[in-house]
Amino acid sequence: MAPLTAEGSNSSDYFVDDDPDFLQALCEVKLPGDLSQKADEKPQSDEPVRHATQSLKRGRDPESEDERDTSRARHNVLASIDEDEEKSRYLKDDVYGAATFGGFGEYMSRKRAKLQVQNADIAEEGQALSTIFRGLQIYINGHTTPSVQELRKLIVQHGGIFHAYLVKKSLVTHILTCSLTPAKVKEFQHMKVVRPDWLVDSAKAGVLLPWQDYIFKVNERVEDLQGKQVAQKSLLNSYVPTYKSPSISNVAPHHPGPQIAQSEPPKNFSQDSNDSLVANVSSLSSHLSNAGSQPEEPHTPAKPKPSLDSPSTPGRPIYTTDPVSPEQANHVPGYTSHKSNPNAERAMQDPAWRAAHTSVAPDFIEGYYRNSRLHHLSTWKAELKNLVAEAQERADSGTGLGGDRPRLEEVDGVREGVGAVEDMAVRKIVRENMGGKGPGWSSTRGGGPDDNVSMRNAQLVMRSPSKKGKEKERAGDPVDDKGRIIMHCDFDSFFVSAGLVDRPHLRGKPVVVCHSQGAQGGQASTSEIASASYEARKFGIKAGMSLQQARKLCPQIITMPYEFQRYKQFSLQFYTILMSHADDLQAVSVDEALIDVTSSVQRIQTEISQSQNSSASPIDPAKQFAEAIRAQVRRATGCEVSIGIAHNIMLARVASRRAKPAGSYHILPADAMDALAPLDIDNLHGFGHATRQKAEEKLGATNLGELAKMSKGVLCDALGKSTGETLFKAIRGIDERKLESDKPRKSVSCDINYGIRFENNEQAEAFVYQLAEEVSRRLGSIDMKGRSLTVKVMKRDPSAPVEAPKFMGHGLCETFTKQIQLVAPGGRATNDEKIVGEHAWRLLKGFGFDPKELRGIGIQVQKLEKASGHAEVEQGQAVLPFKPVESAKEKAGVGQNDKPLNAVVPPKINVLPPSSPDVQELPPPAHAQTSKTSHDLPAFSQIDRSVFDALPEDIRKELEAEYKRRSITPDPLPAIPAKRVRFASLAPADVFPKVKITVKGTNVKRITQQLAPRGRSSISPQKTALFKKRDIPFKVNVSEEELRKLGLDPDVFAMLPRNIQREQVAAARFQKSGKIGVTFGGPRRVLKPIPRLLPRTRPKYVPPPPPQANFPKPPTLKQPGKKKGEKLYFSETDDVQNVIEKWVMAFLEHPPNKQDVGFFARYLVQCVDNTRSTDSGLERAIAVAKWWLVLLRRHFGVWEHASELDVGELQRDQHWTSEGVGRAWWEAFRDVKGQMDTVARRKYGGCLSLR
Amino acid sequence: MLDETPLSFNQAVRGIAEFIEVAIHTILYVRQVYPAEVFVRRKKYNTPVFQSRHPALNEYISGAVKAVADELVHGNVDKVIVVIKDKEDVALERFIFAVQNMIQVESYNRETGVQGAISAPVLGQYFRSFLIKLSMLEAQLGQLGLGDAVLTPPMIQENISFAVVIELRDDKAPSSIDGKEPPPWVPATVQHTTTGTSDKAELHMLKAVDTGIINLSLAVQESEHKFSTEKESKTAAISKAKERAL
Repeated sequence: MAPLTAEGSNSSDYFVDDDPDFLQALCEVKLPGDLSQKADEKPQSDEPVRHATQSLKRGRDPESEDERDTSRARHNVLASIDEDEEKSRYLKDDVYGAATFGGFGEYMSRKRAKLQVQNADIAEEGQALSTIFRGLQIYINGHTTPSVQELRKLIVQHGGIFHAYLVKKSLVTHILTCSLTPAKVKEFQHMKVVRPDWLVDSAKAGVLLPWQDYIFKVNERVEDLQGKQVAQKSLLNSYVPTYKSPSISNVAPHHPGPQIAQSEPPKNFSQDSNDSLVANVSSLSSHLSNAGSQPEEPHTPAKPKPSLDSPSTPGRPIYTTDPVSPEQANHVPGYTSHKSNPNAERAMQDPAWRAAHTSVAPDFIEGYYRNSRLHHLSTWKAELKNLVAEAQERADSGTGLGGDRPRLEEVDGVREGVGAVEDMAVRKIVRENMGGKGPGWSSTRGGGPDDNVSMRNAQLVMRSPSKKGKEKERAGDPVDDKGRIIMHCDFDSFFVSAGLVDRPHLRGKPVVVCHSQGAQGGQASTSEIASASYEARKFGIKAGMSLQQARKLCPQIITMPYEFQRYKQFSLQFYTILMSHADDLQAVSVDEALIDVTSSVQRIQTEISQSQNSSASPIDPAKQFAEAIRAQVRRATGCEVSIGIAHNIMLARVASRRAKPAGSYHILPADAMDALAPLDIDNLHGFGHATRQKAEEKLGATNLGELAKMSKGVLCDALGKSTGETLFKAIRGIDERKLESDKPRKSVSCDINYGIRFENNEQAEAFVYQLAEEVSRRLGSIDMKGRSLTVKVMKRDPSAPVEAPKFMGHGLCETFTKQIQLVAPGGRATNDEKIVGEHAWRLLKGFGFDPKELRGIGIQVQKLEKASGHAEVEQGQAVLPFKPVESAKEKAGVGQNDKPLNAVVPPKINVLPPSSPDVQELPPPAHAQTSKTSHDLPAFSQIDRSVFDALPEDIRKELEAEYKRRSITPDPLPAIPAKRVRFASLAPADVFPKVKITVKGTNVKRITQQLAPRGRSSISPQKTALFKKRDIPFKVNVSEEELRKLGLDPDVFAMLPRNIQREQVAAARFQKSGKIGVTFGGPRRVLKPIPRLLPRTRPKYVPPPPPQANFPKPPTLKQPGKKKGEKLYFSETDDVQNVIEKWVMAFLEHPPNKQDVGFFARYLVQCVDNTRSTDSGLERAIAVAKWWLVLLRRHFGVWEHASELDVGELQRDQHWTSEGVGRAWWEAFRDVKGQMDTVARRKYGGCLSLR
Repeated sequence: MLDETPLSFNQAVRGIAEFIEVAIHTILYVRQVYPAEVFVRRKKYNTPVFQSRHPALNEYISGAVKAVADELVHGNVDKVIVVIKDKEDVALERFIFAVQNMIQVESYNRETGVQGAISAPVLGQYFRSFLIKLSMLEAQLGQLGLGDAVLTPPMIQENISFAVVIELRDDKAPSSIDGKEPPPWVPATVQHTTTGTSDKAELHMLKAVDTGIINLSLAVQESEHKFSTEKESKTAAISKAKERAL
């Protein structure tokens, strides 16, 4: 810990408190190398800085300062300067005078001067080791390794000038940095920005090396260089120099120096110097603590503590041959025995080898998938899942398979020393399960055991066709969760035991399965062990180790090759047996499955209880049943299976672990806690290394028994909510997961991270297209199309060596992913390789990585949907034949069943090794390719164009003709006009006919569509039956005799196009057979649209009428007109007011007529009444009433408020007095007003105001 | 020239709601519910109006009017009443916007012009006259300062507040009860409503318009309480003046 932090830190604090012993040791120790002084000088060089700044800045009083100095002087054994004297000199000096207030500029310039004084001091003390840096003026930016102090010393000691501040750019010749911010990158773009190892290496070499070799490259990873590494890793073993010279990463050799470094890693300059730097400190620190590793063996990993198997040690080794992250790499024992795989490095030197074996090779992907174990395993898993789902579907729909499949016999051989009754019961159920609907896997595939290792042709049959859907069963299941019986069936070291079937002589010996055979690969083989026998496991060998690691553990280890064919066969047999017994099955992998056998076990139980009246022997029927299954599998495959039984998945897995090897184990619900207690977190399925580490760090325990004591909250806090919750339940034996037998496939992907070594973008692009082809093939094989595409890119970690420790592996990598929508023309989902390739390449290009740095590429297609069915229809509808050529071609690419050889023409691969002498040398491999064409012509896209062009003309023409014949796609990409020209010049007529063919294919459809009746009935059943089969290509293979029999002229028939041939034959056969059907050649039946019940002419759509405004008729005042019988209706306010005025004026001398008043009141009330009038009526009534009031006031104002009590004379001599008339009017008015108020009150309450 | 296109149902609803909002601001200004400084003079319907510039008040008003508009669309509203009340929460004046849905319009027809209905500019002119009448209301009703303005202590005004009340047609309930938000309407105090009005209250009809779609009228009702308090304060003021005179 100490050495590196000191090394990487620029804080002098570490040194102040060191005890004298250490300093003593520091003096005495003899250090190798030129730079030995550095460590000594560090404290010293730092002291003055601090001292000076302190005394000046803070203005401490001299006394305490002195005190401090003396005390420090005591400590500082090495101090060569008398501090007091020095100080007094400082203060006299102008530079060290007190700063004036506000004089910041002065302060800075002084500081610079002081720093230069210090530099001079360093130079003096260091006795100027050399002058190789003379003339260099160097500024250091940001954090560097080695630290700024180191570098400064280095610079000054070797005659250079160190600038602490970048004041004048013209002054500085070079900038040293390990990482730059983007802004700085821009700022420094015209300067010489160099990595610090330039100086380190130069000092080492004793000459100034050309700085161009050490130019700082921006794309180096920033985070790693900013101290993270230093803080995180204390061990030298993982201390990979981050500042490799760029020429190392460049395979093309043009620098003599770095090339040496490449082939002889230990003498690598950068590493060496780095070691020496580190060694200085670490060897010293070994006096203090033993924690540091020994400088003598900087590359051996510190053994992750000896207590490997104790469950609570953090540094557990991970076994993998090709770790991705440095953290992981740290845990792999023996991983870093080579920084870089020497074999690979040597091999990569050879361009020919490179061209043949890396991702650049044309058949690379093919070969990769042929040999990749993981690939097989994953595809099998997917296929098995499909099979299971299909079987389930069939079981659900109740259609079993025919009885022609080979029955697995001899079920009765179950003999496991079980009591007679139980035995009988178990046997009975087993027989029942096997018989009747019967198990079976039918290998419909006619072809022998060729290298087709796909399982696709097999079928599994579900036992219980009576079951209608799992959901239903689950919903109405009387069995509660504890009563459920889940079995986890797992082969014991599947690959090994499968291999041992043929090699009985190897039984009982440590055997592993891996690619590398015998002594091949030698001691350094990085071949990964896929499976190890139990004997081998005793040596500590585990799956995932490299052979080389295994050999170290057990030198006499025996290797076996993979036998994929056999694995497949066994796996299918295994699944067949399980399927026959299971209510439900989840395919976990080829050799592992989860089954739900609740019903079978229940039946056994009832069987037992029936035959034996509750026997005293508490024999576990589930275990018996498991043994029976095991026996069955053993008989079928000769391999042992272990079965764990429990009431849920998690416990079943735990149980199977206990059952191994070759046994079965039942964890009863009551025992769950006890069974789990001794286990470790990562023994549980779904909890891995990361969780374990977290638990270790945060909870201090990884043992389930200990964790069981913790509350759920604590677990959730430490591990995250969902993980914590799951763990909490898991510890208590609770697992609510259901078997997933019908999980639909969510994505299809292709991932290659082995042997990816590109030299340029063209190669990468070509590779991506090939990968896309593979993806689209896989999509096609499951009949799916995707809508989304993800590209995963692994890029070499800047700290990793160019060649990974594993041979052609990916080594330490940074992983990037990007997602994009996968859009085919028309926005449909697609599985077209060209479109997939285009999208993938666009994404990869978007990353902007150096193709040399790529170590792995993966393409994944998600959002799958079924491709079949509607797609065809869509095609015909969506794409017109006269569309641009591109779309026509794409249609052909999608629709046709045979794989288009050349749907896409990706850029050709050009392997042009730098050293390649000339083209003449290349024809041999090209010939090899062409000679292969007789068996299998490589895809046109994979042909090296330069080679192709170099071929003799006749061969070339032949090849071209062959490709054209094969090619279904008519036209090359318009994007590559050069190629088009070539074709056109060679065979101009050829491009066209093919287009015509495609058009014709669709044309038939179009014609028939036009023939078909219009309207809805065009989707008549006849029509679909008629045209559906059109696309299935079959050879019209009819003998002449038959043709004659059918009444067809063979000669004419032969001339017909194939489509019509087919139609003719079919029609003739139909006629002959006398069946009623669709005829082609016979009298044309007129197809009429089916008459509809509804009248032909639909009522035309009439828009609903617009709403009509409603104006209720305003109440009117009727008046007799001037003429006789004429009636006038007054509704407007003014008119009514006029009428009133006339009325009032007419009755000035007489009290108003009662009828008139009533008539008028009716009108006003009608106006006021909102049921008969609107509010404007009210408004009018008020206006009228107001006018009436005005008139009355004008004429009879005196009498308005006259009291009722002192009524005067109303009538005099038959004449009304004015008082009488006035009172009468007011009375009438109040009466009317009262009526109005009553009506208005209904709506508004209160009364009307006429104010 | 004026646009002769008849109003659509939605236009009518929007127009009326907008007018009510403008009118509420004007009422608050005219009746001095809030100090005049709060208001800023603007132009609407070609007439000067006063708008509050207090954001909280504006928000309340627009919220209330929006709720009114929601109800208007359903045709359930009978009256929208702006109640001016005193510190005891007793209504002094009610500004009654009586609406009457004259036609039922199907939802697909809400944006089509209603044949025979008045046009938007005409409605605007009507609104203008509404507002003019409103602003002249003081002449008719006197200052809401309870009697003699000179003698009224200004603090009384500070205790005046207002509320927006809607009265629905019989048997109708506010429609916007969707459970999510608290409903905009709460049951009103009876005294604030027209049914709670005593017979002595006086109704001044300001203006009415028949749009043919939704008819609108604005009336002001002075409550009996107002008269009684006015009388009281008047007598009090008179006696005070008398005292002073003595």
